[in-house]
Amino acid sequence: MSLLELKNVSKIYGDLKALDSVNVHVDKGEWVAIMGPSGSGKSTMMNIIGCMDRPTYGEVLLDGVDIAKESSKKLTDIRRDKIGLIFQQFHMVNYLTAVENVMVSQYYHSMPDEQEALEALGRVGLRERAHHLPSQLSGGEQQRVCVARALINHPELILADEPTGNLDEANENIVLDLFAQLHAEGTTLIVVTHDPEVADAAQRTIVLEHGKVAREVINEHFDEQQKEWLARLKTENKRVMPV
Amino acid sequence: MLIALLSIGIGATILAGLVTIYVDVPRQMGAQFRSFGANMLILSDGEKGMSKAQLDKALENIPAGQLVGAAPYRYVRVDMTTRQQSFTAAGTDFDQITKTSPYFSIEGRYPENPREVLVGKEIAETIGIREGSGMELTWQPAAGETAGDPSGDRQPGAILSGSAEGWSGGTVYVTVKLDDSSRIASLTIDAGTQTPEIGGLTQTDDSFNSQFVGKSLPLTLGEDVDALSGATITSTAVVEALNTARNTQSAGTAMTIKYTVTGILATGGEEESYVFMSLEDMAGLTGSDAVDVAELSVSASAEELETYAEQITENTDGVRARLVKRVTRSETAVLGKLQSLVFLVTAVVLILTMICVSTTMMAVVSERRREIGLRKALGASDGSIRTEFLGEGMFLGLLGGVLGAVLGFAFAQVVSVNVFGSSITFQPLLLPTAVIVSMGVAALSCLQPIKRAVAIDPAIVLKDE
Repeated sequence: MSLLELKNVSKIYGDLKALDSVNVHVDKGEWVAIMGPSGSGKSTMMNIIGCMDRPTYGEVLLDGVDIAKESSKKLTDIRRDKIGLIFQQFHMVNYLTAVENVMVSQYYHSMPDEQEALEALGRVGLRERAHHLPSQLSGGEQQRVCVARALINHPELILADEPTGNLDEANENIVLDLFAQLHAEGTTLIVVTHDPEVADAAQRTIVLEHGKVAREVINEHFDEQQKEWLARLKTENKRVMPV
Repeated sequence: MLIALLSIGIGATILAGLVTIYVDVPRQMGAQFRSFGANMLILSDGEKGMSKAQLDKALENIPAGQLVGAAPYRYVRVDMTTRQQSFTAAGTDFDQITKTSPYFSIEGRYPENPREVLVGKEIAETIGIREGSGMELTWQPAAGETAGDPSGDRQPGAILSGSAEGWSGGTVYVTVKLDDSSRIASLTIDAGTQTPEIGGLTQTDDSFNSQFVGKSLPLTLGEDVDALSGATITSTAVVEALNTARNTQSAGTAMTIKYTVTGILATGGEEESYVFMSLEDMAGLTGSDAVDVAELSVSASAEELETYAEQITENTDGVRARLVKRVTRSETAVLGKLQSLVFLVTAVVLILTMICVSTTMMAVVSERRREIGLRKALGASDGSIRTEFLGEGMFLGLLGGVLGAVLGFAFAQVVSVNVFGSSITFQPLLLPTAVIVSMGVAALSCLQPIKRAVAIDPAIVLKDE
């Protein structure tokens, strides 16, 4: 079942076609990576999928609603209710603690609930770091807080922009483990990256070049990877809590 | 943020300070203006002047707190026969004069004892009189003024004075006040010229003095009253002086009393050509304690003064009040100018505060644009961004307002003490006013920064930098 569908989407800035008649289709529960060099239109696509921009032409169906035609106010509502965002720069409010940062997201969505926020931090293995300020957390820990923040409102779609771009390998693996777990739970994931390893963790990779979809690569080893991951999780059973 | 708080605080301080002064200035300035003299006159309706009771009744119309002073005056023409000069003599209350006419400048001192006078500088120069000099003044009643039946009872309540020669040529003076049935109510004997331990005792001896009370004039020594033992000559002079007083007054003849000059008065005005004496001395000289006019110094606004004057005229028989327009008008004009100046300064300060707060908030917004972008990306609506910043601004306004009200009061206090030399009372309305105005200013200042915050593109968080 399709969650997201881009039909002939173009975004034109003056003479530049950032996106040129792109057709993309993402199913519910799918884990998709979007790759491409700088200037290939990744960011533009991300903005459009994240309800932060509208295409010049084309339709963008998110859960059956054409978000290309909605008002900014409506886009904000859709973004808040359906999308969890994870950024390369983490973007935490630097004067709020980890748990408060998670609660900011709850605040705009519905009602701040500290218990729930603490549980979300527990899922990313940061329960005991809940009352630390961002400056007291490592990059990996900050990104895990951001994953918890993205999860807190149970979004239909998690949209991650270079989530491991600022992380070392160990932390990259932790984040990928979290993604694998989210996938296992049925969350739809779209990860924009230029890192082949991160892309390889996904089920399918869409490669953008010059604003067009150059090719799509299906990860044939994905089911094996997931099995391996579940087995490893059982033996390690540490950072990532079982569902 | 701290800067914004500070600027609101300072703005509110100046606002609160100036408002306090603004409210207090009329009172302060009123007190200052009181030093320029009386601003209200109470006049008698008739020819005969008004009594003390009438004046007191008139003064009841003015709240005690606002009445700075009320100086009664009685003016008569007196002659100084030795110099063939005649002047205006004014009977007054020297305690009140210091309040209603603080600009009186005196060389010497105010009269304190009976038969002491203050002489205007012009007179003093004309006749070459100095502090300590003696001065003999004669009052000549105008035709019909106190003419009465020589044999009949004296006017009830009249004050009579007379003198007679006592021991070794010294003069003994008496002043007597009659009660309602023309009997002696009280008397004062001045036997300063007599031997202190003999005739002088007539001044103080209780049994000698008290025997006069309740008696009708004229008196005969040995029948109506007894002499003070050992001081027959002085006692005789006292009785003689009393009888003279009665006869003099009833016959409407001149009265001459010798006074001592205690001070020379300089005012730069017409007062320099007057001789001032106490009301009691004036009564002794003229036989009446009525007053012609009372000069009032009232600390009140022009409108209040008008009201008081109307009330006095309406509520008191035989008396009318009017304002000294010259003083009240200039007072109102100066106050009006001062208040509009304060108003202008306050407005300018508020505008400056607004600019400062607006600039600071603008800086805060651009400093936090990533955070604002993030909040929007996380689903914050424009409304909630607006509410957050407005709330922050209003909170700043609240803090600044409270801070400003407190500091402003201190500021106003310092200004008041230094400029006006008096402290001010805390206006309870000041706190809410300062808080509401600073919150309003803060909210206004936030409008532009909020507009900018709302315009921030949430996609800002996606761009790597």
